[in-house]
Amino acid sequence: MTGRVIIIGGGVAGMQTAITLDELGFKPVIIEKEASLGGKLCRWDRLFPTMTPAQEVLGDLLKRVEKTASEVRTSTTVSEIEEQGRGVTLSDGSRLDAEAVVVASGFDIFPAERKEEYGYGLYDNVYTTVDVERMFREGGVRMADGREPKTVAFLHCVGSRDEKVNQRHCSRVCCITGVKQAIEVKQQIPGAEIFSFYMDMRMFGPGYEELYRQAQQQYNIHFVRGRISEASPTIDHRIHIKAEDTLIGRPLRMSVDMLILAVGMQAGSSNVAFGRNNNIDLYPSGFLRPLNQFSGNVRSSSPRLFYAGTVTAPKNIGESINEGIAAAYQVAQTLNAAKS
Amino acid sequence: MEHFRLFVLPFYAGAFFLLITLLCKYIYWFIGLSREQKRLFWRSLPTRATWKSVVEIFNESLLHRKIWRTNPLLGYMHTSFALGWFLLISVGWLETFVYFKGESVPLYVDIFFSYYVHPIFERNFNFSLIKDALLLLILVGVVLALFKRLYSRIMGMKRTTKHMLGDRVALTALWLIFPARLLAESLTSAEVWRFGGYVWTLSENTQLIPPGIGCGSFLTGSLGQWLADFLPARIIEAQHVELTAWWIYSIALGVFFVALPFSRYMHIFTEIPLIFLRNAGLRAAEKESSFDHFQVDACSRCGICIDPCQLQSGAGIQGVQSVYFLRDRRYGRLTDAVADNCLMCGRCQQACPVGIEQNTLRLNSRVKRAYPDSPNRYAYIQGKDLSTGEGKVGYFAGCMTLLTPKILRAMEQIFTAAGEEVWWADKNGGVCCGRPLKLSGEVDAARKMMDFNKNLFRQHGITTLVTSCPICLKVFKEDYALEGIEVLHHSEYLQRLLAEGRLKLRSGSETFTYHDPCELGRGSGIYEAPREVIAALGVLKEPAETREHALCCGSSLANTAIDDEGQRRIGEQVAMALAATGADSIVTACPLCKKGIAREATLPVYDLAEIVARAL
Amino acid sequence: MTTWGYSISRPRSIDIDRNDMSYSQELLREYPELQTCIACGNCTATCTAANLTSFSLRKVHTLVRRGEYQGMAEELEKCMLCGKCRLACPRGINTRQIVLTLKKHLVNRSR
Repeated sequence: MTGRVIIIGGGVAGMQTAITLDELGFKPVIIEKEASLGGKLCRWDRLFPTMTPAQEVLGDLLKRVEKTASEVRTSTTVSEIEEQGRGVTLSDGSRLDAEAVVVASGFDIFPAERKEEYGYGLYDNVYTTVDVERMFREGGVRMADGREPKTVAFLHCVGSRDEKVNQRHCSRVCCITGVKQAIEVKQQIPGAEIFSFYMDMRMFGPGYEELYRQAQQQYNIHFVRGRISEASPTIDHRIHIKAEDTLIGRPLRMSVDMLILAVGMQAGSSNVAFGRNNNIDLYPSGFLRPLNQFSGNVRSSSPRLFYAGTVTAPKNIGESINEGIAAAYQVAQTLNAAKS
Repeated sequence: MEHFRLFVLPFYAGAFFLLITLLCKYIYWFIGLSREQKRLFWRSLPTRATWKSVVEIFNESLLHRKIWRTNPLLGYMHTSFALGWFLLISVGWLETFVYFKGESVPLYVDIFFSYYVHPIFERNFNFSLIKDALLLLILVGVVLALFKRLYSRIMGMKRTTKHMLGDRVALTALWLIFPARLLAESLTSAEVWRFGGYVWTLSENTQLIPPGIGCGSFLTGSLGQWLADFLPARIIEAQHVELTAWWIYSIALGVFFVALPFSRYMHIFTEIPLIFLRNAGLRAAEKESSFDHFQVDACSRCGICIDPCQLQSGAGIQGVQSVYFLRDRRYGRLTDAVADNCLMCGRCQQACPVGIEQNTLRLNSRVKRAYPDSPNRYAYIQGKDLSTGEGKVGYFAGCMTLLTPKILRAMEQIFTAAGEEVWWADKNGGVCCGRPLKLSGEVDAARKMMDFNKNLFRQHGITTLVTSCPICLKVFKEDYALEGIEVLHHSEYLQRLLAEGRLKLRSGSETFTYHDPCELGRGSGIYEAPREVIAALGVLKEPAETREHALCCGSSLANTAIDDEGQRRIGEQVAMALAATGADSIVTACPLCKKGIAREATLPVYDLAEIVARAL
Repeated sequence: MTTWGYSISRPRSIDIDRNDMSYSQELLREYPELQTCIACGNCTATCTAANLTSFSLRKVHTLVRRGEYQGMAEELEKCMLCGKCRLACPRGINTRQIVLTLKKHLVNRSR
């Protein structure tokens, strides 16, 4: 018994899994493809719905991981997970032996270039919500020429609920992210007019609906029910957008200084390789399918293969952290039962 | 009438029925041709076209050269039936002619020659040997045909046609004809072998054949000898056994002839007038015409069109391919579900051994089924001019290009770099070119859009019209009649700019693979221009199926029936084929192809304009 | 002229009790995809015809689904069938087929 448990991915779910496993007396090994731990959280500025600085949550997790006896291998990827979860093959070809494997490799951000009609990467001043977080961390939202935007349009569901890019699922957290960022832009630039184009607002978490209401009432964000069909540049380098105001039933045209695309979560690109393992099943969306969606959310069909976080579906940070704890306890249960 | 036997009657009845039916059909169809079509036909006689037709009939109706090219075994099968039977009949006529020294004998003596004459080798030139050899050739073909039903893949066909009742009756009769003939001739030979016989002539002096010689050659003669040795004498003696075999042969012939005009075997004869008419310059058109009957009935339902069809190979859609479309149309049971479910990519037309104009026929069926136009339709487009800019060169982006702004942006950069003054027809939206509507059969409505756009082009005084959409290109070229305005696809325009030295591009070692859009390649015959442009930028890696054989992206506007999943699966099929080239990126020259392929592609997908703009 | 279902003589509300829903059900049986619309309005936003005249495919087919057929065939006449909406539809609905099918059905019905 080595007690070694491999955790693939050092984002919030992976870090929490390591912390709990350490508490339970196991030896976690985190394999992280980036140079440092933290996953996508590193790119965020403030978190919905409480506006808590991302750094607070991240710093706390990092500190706690630090205190454990966890081994952390950064800039390393896993190319193959062994059938029964007794080890993995790393990108350098070496094999790492383990008692169990927890897959916490997370999601990928939908590449907005794939929705060519919105002109991301083609026109100035078309950004994604991920870019906006970076801008906030760097001091605030600015247009390409350095000025503050006076009119901003948010477009929800970019790369979510869109069969044309093979993304049928709802990414859940982009709605509230869009609302949060709209408020933040308004806080930064009180004179800005902000239009939010949505199909449905899915405010599933505690405090989300309240934030949405705040955005409407306190920050005067204009919510327009309709999906933008295309964006084009105007002569004065603004962005001309076309949508249907579906509540009125008439086409709507407007020019904005900035278009922000609320990009969704897509399945991690490594899932396909993991799926070569017969005990790992994929949803059509590419996310990993857990044993069941009720009592087996962190389990696979192999007793030594576990999941945590957004590798199985889009989730928020709290949910991902909870799954890290749940996965760690399930690992402990399985390994302790095997020991006795 | 002393030699008359009742068994010849089924043959007579069948042959008579066939002759009358064919004559009625062909004459009726010919009368239905327009005056212009008839004039074309009469004028083509006798010209070089007539000779060309004769050669083509020999090559395609008898030799089936195109099918040999698809697969040699399949080719053999078709040749054995067509050429083999043709020669068997010809040799038979010749033999009768030689035998009776040109004197006229009843037709049944000719057809059932072996029964009547008991030909033996000593008498004259060895026709029996030739006839036996030909019969063997055909019998091998029959075996192959049976084999094809079971294992079509060996014959180079993954799927074969599913046939209907009339076809099955005709097919069974056809397959029965030759074994029945073998049996009948062999039994006659067996009888002669055992008991002797006489050689029948017109005059009184019949030649007696002693027992132990038999008649026929290596096939029927040998089989006859074998039967004579092994069958009990009383069976051979009882003439009804031999007669029964001849009855079967005659009935098989009769049934086949009666079933022929209602079955796929109608193609055997119909291909002949079709070739003459086609070489005279007759073509199918936007509206159904009597000429279409010749094409529809010339389809042999060989099913060669099924395999190239990506609806089948990519999306798993069955029963809509050209063979089924023509069948349903011929028997008047065409449904929208079949008529509309076609990408009109032209791959089947490319493969069709009979050269049937699949796309045009499909289109005119849709026109016939279309919803009628109303006079005020599209009145709202009048006076709507959203164009911008001024210049002798007009650029028509097309509806789809507005959803692929990278192409638009690239074209802007290219025009600027080339110093071209451009009139932008529809950058802010415009009126559709009309082709999508036309492809759905609503040609009169489409005409309104065409007239509108044509007027717009004239008003702005352009002399060159560039479009990056092959769908628009095709309709501009074929239906707009833009005298004085040169219509160019952007690939041709870019090729010209490069040739004139108006664009200086950075060339590199990047590898590209190119996808031929259907409307640009097979549709408009433009294959070289995009390839030349790519060659100026990097290295081109051709996919396995390219140019005339290129795959379709699946997003074709011609198919209004296919669902999203079907489109996606075909797109995936193409993306995989292109990725297999190992190129760095995929290049195409159509906004729809770009979107359709990019959906499933593992490689980046660019329009030709994008890679040119990038290298400026 | 299109009546657009708003003439004075007709009730203002969509009366599902009185509308001939069986016909709408029949259409939906033939074309179940119609029911998957999430009313995002992308088809109308991108529509080549809607750029030039009042036409909303989303509105037309929603009205048909509610059993409101009057004037719909005339509305559908405005469509140019260019296919932009199909390329844009996030639900992957075969919008062109819907235009053709509805038009054919509604015209046959009014005859």
